[in-house]
Amino acid sequence: MTRFQAFLPRRCLWRIVLSAVLLGPAAGAIAAGYPVVTNARLLHAASDNGWLMFLRDYTGDSYAPFREISTRNVSGLKPAWDYKIGMRQGFEGSPIVNGRYMFVTTPKDHLIAFDAVTGKVLWKYQKSLAGVGLKTVCCDVVNRGVALYGNNVYMATLDNYVVALNAQTGKVVWQKQIKPADVGYAMTLAPLTLEGMVIVGTSGGEYGARDFVVALDANTGREIWRQYTVPSPGQPGSDTWPKGKIYRHGGGSAWLTGTYDPSSNTLFWGGGNPGPWLARLRPGKNLFTDSLQAFNPRTGQRKWYYQYTPHDSWDYDGVNTPMITSLTYHGRRYQAIVHADRNGWLYVIDRRTHKLIYAVPFAHAISLAGFRDGLPYTDDAVRPAVGKQIFTCPSFLGGKNWWPASVDPATHMVYVPTIHTCMTMKGAPTFYKPGLPYLGETFKVVHDPNDSNWGALQAFDLDTGKRAWNRETRLPWDAGAMSTAGGLVFSGTPQGHLLALDARTGQVLWKSPKLSSGIIAPPVTYRVDGTQYVAILAGWGGATPIWGGDMVKSVANIPVGGHLYVYSLK
Amino acid sequence: MSIRLLQISAYVLVLSALLLQRAEAASPPPALYTRSQALQGASAFEWKCASCHGHHLQGGVGPALEGPVFASAKSGFTIQQIYEFLSVEMPAYAPGSLTRTQYLDITAFLLQQNGYPAGSRALTDRIASESTVPLLFQAVVQAPAGVAKSRAGAGKPLAIPRTNAP
Ligand code: HEC
Repeated sequence: MTRFQAFLPRRCLWRIVLSAVLLGPAAGAIAAGYPVVTNARLLHAASDNGWLMFLRDYTGDSYAPFREISTRNVSGLKPAWDYKIGMRQGFEGSPIVNGRYMFVTTPKDHLIAFDAVTGKVLWKYQKSLAGVGLKTVCCDVVNRGVALYGNNVYMATLDNYVVALNAQTGKVVWQKQIKPADVGYAMTLAPLTLEGMVIVGTSGGEYGARDFVVALDANTGREIWRQYTVPSPGQPGSDTWPKGKIYRHGGGSAWLTGTYDPSSNTLFWGGGNPGPWLARLRPGKNLFTDSLQAFNPRTGQRKWYYQYTPHDSWDYDGVNTPMITSLTYHGRRYQAIVHADRNGWLYVIDRRTHKLIYAVPFAHAISLAGFRDGLPYTDDAVRPAVGKQIFTCPSFLGGKNWWPASVDPATHMVYVPTIHTCMTMKGAPTFYKPGLPYLGETFKVVHDPNDSNWGALQAFDLDTGKRAWNRETRLPWDAGAMSTAGGLVFSGTPQGHLLALDARTGQVLWKSPKLSSGIIAPPVTYRVDGTQYVAILAGWGGATPIWGGDMVKSVANIPVGGHLYVYSLK
Repeated sequence: MSIRLLQISAYVLVLSALLLQRAEAASPPPALYTRSQALQGASAFEWKCASCHGHHLQGGVGPALEGPVFASAKSGFTIQQIYEFLSVEMPAYAPGSLTRTQYLDITAFLLQQNGYPAGSRALTDRIASESTVPLLFQAVVQAPAGVAKSRAGAGKPLAIPRTNAP
């Protein structure tokens, strides 16, 4: 302290002394500064002590190599700290942790920075949404978390801003709007930082948007590239759309964070459903909707793609995380993408040949009927039309919605949060009007006739494609999964329990007391000074209670309100 | 008459002319529904829509359905567009599940809450699905069921008649 005395004004010094007293000894580490987030750290985020990005690292596998908390001692997990946030909307955010700094986003784009050890609030930020109607936000006014780079924290907002804030002070460094609000576009995703860029994608498949992925300079907000998921006339893929202007409202929302493969320098990003929902209005395969897209991250150029659902009429967004892993299948080693799609199929795709290695259904799947020569085909009998009601599975909410799955390299398993739903669907009149949905279908979510439960957490052995275990639940499984080297899978339930399951068997080894609300967020884990923590946001909401049809009744009495919980063994 | 008085009366004249002009420009919005429709609509709204759009239409997980941000010139909605949309696609968990009458009543209620006056003619499916009348929030709101009330701009939300909807 004496070294600083010479040039610090007295008032300032007094503040430091005061805050040191108020914060106690814990303040020391925070005051010691903010660990700069470099490209190298992001590339090695898998082994970092923090949780530096949305799904921990660029593979998107939500797997942490920590073993302090393990199958043997997990029953001793205790609350470390918690923080009541409030708000009645859904909490879908992943807490992001760097050193002792934790960043948590809430519905309606608030951001809170905590001391990850003590839970002390360091600063708060609230994006002003004054004058914003939130008209074109389908599935709750959520936010899924921040990205980090340098000394900045980045958040994407419902009114299409990317906001860069100083991680230590919460002061806005720059902000940039990439589309006007309320005319079809919104953002709910956690941005991805990559080689000095902040990369985000837009939502809007329900509103006649033409969606895109955009990369901004992380230091200035300057736009570097923008790639639309629906091509304009003349661009590759445009021949899969009818002639005319329909492509302008073709959807293909890019609403979930992508992944990155440094070995091939490829950015993977999912494309959402085509618009309007009623496929008859847009004959063709409708690339690159419902597709895995492989981009050059420097230019945004599309290298290759794989369409999960051609000519979709069921709202099967292909945005669920394209997880990067390697596996051995029938004696051969593959560099793969693993993806559990809304359409109910688990896709395993070769990153070298861009071809399907195998696909297996993980939920009752009718619309996507099967594969020929590695390419999917649909059952045309279940395509709705005006005057024709169909019944199909899964519902538009998907066999799995956005909730992150997790790939565990030790068990070679993928853990898939699942919902068992089917639906009726019928064509309906529609018109395009900015600010209103553009669907052309009506629908109702109903029970899967083959399964009386709404949910499950399932494990598939990636080396065989066979299901390893299955944990069925009466209520939908709407929370993300996270696995650890301790042999555990963490996930949450609508009833408000954080669970730790045995990764090999699916047996529940620890269950938190009932939290203040249901869980729809993914858990994260981090380490500070050798102590491993597990953090989860409770705060029921999201798509299920809005669009869930017959499922709504079963979740109607879940209490709402956001609350952050952190556990450790100490 | 002193010059001062002249000045003042000229001022008053100009001012009243201006006021008159304004009143003309903001000619009262058309009466497109009956008060009883809006009353029925209020209870249907509470029962089928309020859980997402708020008990005061202020918005929740669904957007606000009242006020200058919802019914703005920028949005440029017409009554036909809003009616066609909500009667096909809402409520979100069961689109199209209400009766025609309920959708009309709810539309009447939305009009009322956005400042459109009640009249003697009922809103019919035909009128609603052809109406090119722009939906623009009117600053002075016709209070429901005889409660004389007005407000300028976006003030406190109006009290909406509560029903015993469970
Ligand atoms: C379960 C939640 C839910 C219920 C119940 C619900 N809505 Fe909605 N509503 C939404 C959401 C979410 C939107 C946003 C647009 C979209 O994705 O459809 C919306 C959009 C709208 C819009 C368009 C607003 C705009 O500015 O674009 C109107 C009008 C509307 N709803 C009317 C109704 C009416 C009338 C009812 C009752 C019959 C109702 N809603 C019931 C969730 C709901």
